[in-house]
Amino acid sequence: MEANLANPATSLMVVGLNHHATPVELREQFAFSDETLDGALSRLVDSETIREGAILSTCNRVEVVARTPNLDAANEKIRNFLAAEQQVTRSRFEGYLYTHVNRDAVRHLFRVASSLDSLVVGEPQILGQMKDAYAASSSLGTLGTVLHRCFHKSFSVAKRVRTETAIAAKAVSVSSAAIDLACTIFDRLEDKTAMVIGVGEMGEQAVRHLRGRGVGTILVTNRTFRRAVELARTCNGTVVPFDQLEKHLHLADVVIGSAGSPHYVLHSGMIEDALRERKRSPMFLIDLGVPRNFDPRLNGLDNVFLYDIDDLEQVVEDNKGERQLEAVKAEAIVAEEVESFWRWFSNLEVTPTIVALREQAELVRQREVEKTLATLKDLPPQAKEAVEALSRSITNKLLHPPLAYLKRRNRQARTELGRTERAPAQQNGHTEQTEQEGEIVSAYTFRQIFGLDEDED
Amino acid sequence: MEVWLLTVTLLFYLLSTAGFAFALVSARPIVRVLAPSFLLIAFVCHAGAIAVRSFAIGYIAVTNVYEAISFFACLTAGMGLLVQSRLPVSILGAIVSPLGFILTLGVYVFYTQARALPPALQSAWLPIHVTAAFLGYAVFVVAFSASLVYIVQEKQLKLKRASSFLRRLPSLETLDNLNYHSLAWGFLLLTLGLLSGAVWAEYAWGQFWIWEPRLVLSVLTWVLYALLLHYRSVGWRGRRAATLTIVCFAILIVSFVGIQFFPGRHGGEFG
Repeated sequence: MEANLANPATSLMVVGLNHHATPVELREQFAFSDETLDGALSRLVDSETIREGAILSTCNRVEVVARTPNLDAANEKIRNFLAAEQQVTRSRFEGYLYTHVNRDAVRHLFRVASSLDSLVVGEPQILGQMKDAYAASSSLGTLGTVLHRCFHKSFSVAKRVRTETAIAAKAVSVSSAAIDLACTIFDRLEDKTAMVIGVGEMGEQAVRHLRGRGVGTILVTNRTFRRAVELARTCNGTVVPFDQLEKHLHLADVVIGSAGSPHYVLHSGMIEDALRERKRSPMFLIDLGVPRNFDPRLNGLDNVFLYDIDDLEQVVEDNKGERQLEAVKAEAIVAEEVESFWRWFSNLEVTPTIVALREQAELVRQREVEKTLATLKDLPPQAKEAVEALSRSITNKLLHPPLAYLKRRNRQARTELGRTERAPAQQNGHTEQTEQEGEIVSAYTFRQIFGLDEDED
Repeated sequence: MEVWLLTVTLLFYLLSTAGFAFALVSARPIVRVLAPSFLLIAFVCHAGAIAVRSFAIGYIAVTNVYEAISFFACLTAGMGLLVQSRLPVSILGAIVSPLGFILTLGVYVFYTQARALPPALQSAWLPIHVTAAFLGYAVFVVAFSASLVYIVQEKQLKLKRASSFLRRLPSLETLDNLNYHSLAWGFLLLTLGLLSGAVWAEYAWGQFWIWEPRLVLSVLTWVLYALLLHYRSVGWRGRRAATLTIVCFAILIVSFVGIQFFPGRHGGEFG
């Protein structure tokens, strides 16, 4: 506790890569599976460099969120961590990495949660994925007060953005973008059959969209039969056993890949057989998996149209203009919430001191009042209440100046931090200003003066 | 009267070309109403011009190369309008309008007075024969256009260049179905044209078949379209069918245009 207070404030950082710059080939090497995530998290977080940590791994992004007292050391550690966990040499991916620090880190997280950083701006899946990431690190205990609050805040920001802007209404998800594309291939979907391979979240979303757009038949197949049955029930689909996938492939006009498989699920041989069977009716293959489910060479086949997650970005571009305006509104909400979070975070270092001071004063007050009242047993209840009130008002009056000082100092520290972040060159300006306010007394000094850390007897 | 109508026709082909071109880049609903209206006016005026000329000479005006071209352009515009009214393929207008404009401009520039037709050819079979054959050609223009757009659309989808332009094009399925149906109808009409020609020849010259380049090419084209239809029915669809439709149409055009320079009963001036 003491070491923590004596140190300069810890910082927040996000290190990661996403679909904006990093090709899918590299991203798929970085994806953490549910199984590997727990072990990785426990290797990432220690009591030294990375006090709190979480990993967000989706098919579009892999990000490490951390709270650290030493940004440089943490940055190094995260890079080495990523290299070691995914067995990729640092030089291969470092060019793609981005690092956001403090306010920018918070803003980044809020933007990601609000789906402002998504491939399809406004798509709803990312929030669920972030909640999963939060739940995973939360149950492992790698989150402290700060990241807990940061994640919770990001969820509420996402909700605000969703309800206060039309970004979700205007925007389409990756899967509905894919369905738009299906409509440039097919006349109508009512007489079409869609097959979903795998029960990943993206695939599930796509199936729901397909149902919504009135697709005729839905076939669901999955390695684990039971989960296929579950999905089929929710979308009123028919289950195809995984080993009979090939036999039924020719029925599918749309095939959605959403399996978590390290190998390609569909090969050209299978598709060619299916095409022959269906008299070369076009097939639309939507690969939502990372690593990819379908052999990319399938796109070279006649009457076959293969789109992977990266390809869907182009469809999304179409709607960008309309969404621009809503995105501006959403960014304003994010900016507002970032400030509010940042205020809380920079208060955090002092807040425990304020609380401790209040608690100690209250303890002293109660003890002294009890002592006094014990000697004055015959006092009428009204008088007893008056003594209570008197003691309370004396402690409050006495505490007011030091508490006010702490709170003021806090605000100063915050603006100071903000300013150094934005323009380090203006360092001189703010030093002058703080000098006017007099010498700064640290929270640590406060604790010593008031004996806050001394053991009670 | 006829020349005046042709002038108006030309003007409206031009307006409709501009309208359909604009509809490709703009989503304004007004364009989607105006462009087909322009094309409809052009078609009506064009048909009027042909009717006026036909009444003047007493038989259907398709007896020289310019008349034939004019008749063909008019039928194509009409066919485009017909298909457009039943299917969401406004892109068709963007093809038949400029085609109509260019062909009619040629007719307008090389305008000739009607000449008398040899009595042997003045028969009820003339309108049947030429209407069937030329309607067939017009339908093949539709098949060709659908294939052309299919190739463009398919290319964009394959290269993953989804643009707003692409989204305004009809779906591949629509285009492929249009290709199939127009091939089938075109083939039927072409067959009717050939048969009526043979019957008429039997009446007029006492023989249903004569060895002239025009006829040989026509039969060849007929065989090509028959093959194309056959392969379509066994599963050649999409890009391959579209490519073949374009090839067949190219041969059709060559036979239609090239033949004008060969001597024979169909080429150049009859008689």
